[in-house]
Amino acid sequence: MGEMEQMKKEAEALKTQIEAARKAVHDTDMASAASGVAPAPRVQLKTRRNLKGHLAKIYAMHWSTDNRLMVSASQDGKLLIWDSHSGNKVNAVPLKSSWVMTCAYAPSGNLVASGGLDNMCTVYNLKTPVIKTVKELDAHTGYLSCARFLSDTEVLTASGDTTCALWDLETGKQKTVFLNHVGDCMCLSLSPDMNSFVSGACDSLAKLWDIRDGQCKQTFLGHTSDINAISFYPGGNAIITGSDDCTCKMYDLRADQELITYQDAALNSGVTSLALSMSGRLIFAGYDDFNCNIWDSLKGEKVGVLSGHDNRVSCTGVPPDGMCVCTGSWDSFLKIWN
Amino acid sequence: MDELDETQLKNHVDSLKQQLQFNREKTSVAIPELTKWIEEKINEDPFLNPDVLKDNPWVESSKCVII
Repeated sequence: MGEMEQMKKEAEALKTQIEAARKAVHDTDMASAASGVAPAPRVQLKTRRNLKGHLAKIYAMHWSTDNRLMVSASQDGKLLIWDSHSGNKVNAVPLKSSWVMTCAYAPSGNLVASGGLDNMCTVYNLKTPVIKTVKELDAHTGYLSCARFLSDTEVLTASGDTTCALWDLETGKQKTVFLNHVGDCMCLSLSPDMNSFVSGACDSLAKLWDIRDGQCKQTFLGHTSDINAISFYPGGNAIITGSDDCTCKMYDLRADQELITYQDAALNSGVTSLALSMSGRLIFAGYDDFNCNIWDSLKGEKVGVLSGHDNRVSCTGVPPDGMCVCTGSWDSFLKIWN
Repeated sequence: MDELDETQLKNHVDSLKQQLQFNREKTSVAIPELTKWIEEKINEDPFLNPDVLKDNPWVESSKCVII
């Protein structure tokens, strides 16, 4: 048997062993363990702000840590910084490439980043008298699907070239490359303690990575199509994923397995984005069918829906203080709800 | 896996060996801890505790006055 064949067999055998190890610790399921928990009430939210300003599809948005400012990215070639309270635009950043797929706000509030089909992550300084490009992070060989700041000196990216990378903003170079996915990486989420992150990809897998040693620690199976959205639970012990297979799933990191699937026979649109309420009890998931559905994360039931967009909901975000949820859409509007 | 070359496949196998070693917790322990964490935070969650949303930055707190 050739070496390659040998290794493929070994890989399959290891995967089978991993599944067996997961079954061995599966001594109860979510339905039983959460049976004593009262169901979440029906959630009915009002649109508090309708943010108009973009001239084309909105692809991404990200809250600032101040719970007030947010950045949005549109294929009209602009990043807009909004004061969500007043609804005013604070800044507009013209992009070199209008094919933007992601944007991010640094925790400090000093920097924002964007990236997309240009394969680059561009970082801008908002605090200089005129907004300046600080760095162009150029090494990915595929589109940039997601970027997140760890600090003003480190950025994590996910790319269509199947890798994720940790960049040093001072040198503009990749410090660590995270290799293990076999499909385009579509999304990433940082752990609350900043020591690890999870990524979702077109290989239907979610992976947990150690930021410092670059290793893939755990792989989560179950989805049957691209994972477009992923988020860490606020407590750090679980993750939620959203996929083109029209479902969201919760995976427990310590038990290393899927606990619950959020699905509905009537729902046959892919999940594009998701965000969690501050306790993690509610999942706000954006779908291709123009809605954002609200799920009770412990009971697996739909408890509300946000309708109002005239096109696909492409991004959702809850600020750190949990006071509202923002949805962004291909209809070019952002809405703030609570 | 068919797209991987020999080095990538070897790394893949090594990674799977590492992942197999992970010390898995029983779901009967992990799930209750997860639900406990959430339940403790529910009081602070503006979507689940209306009191927290009393000071809603997106709602006018005073009525309009006709002058």
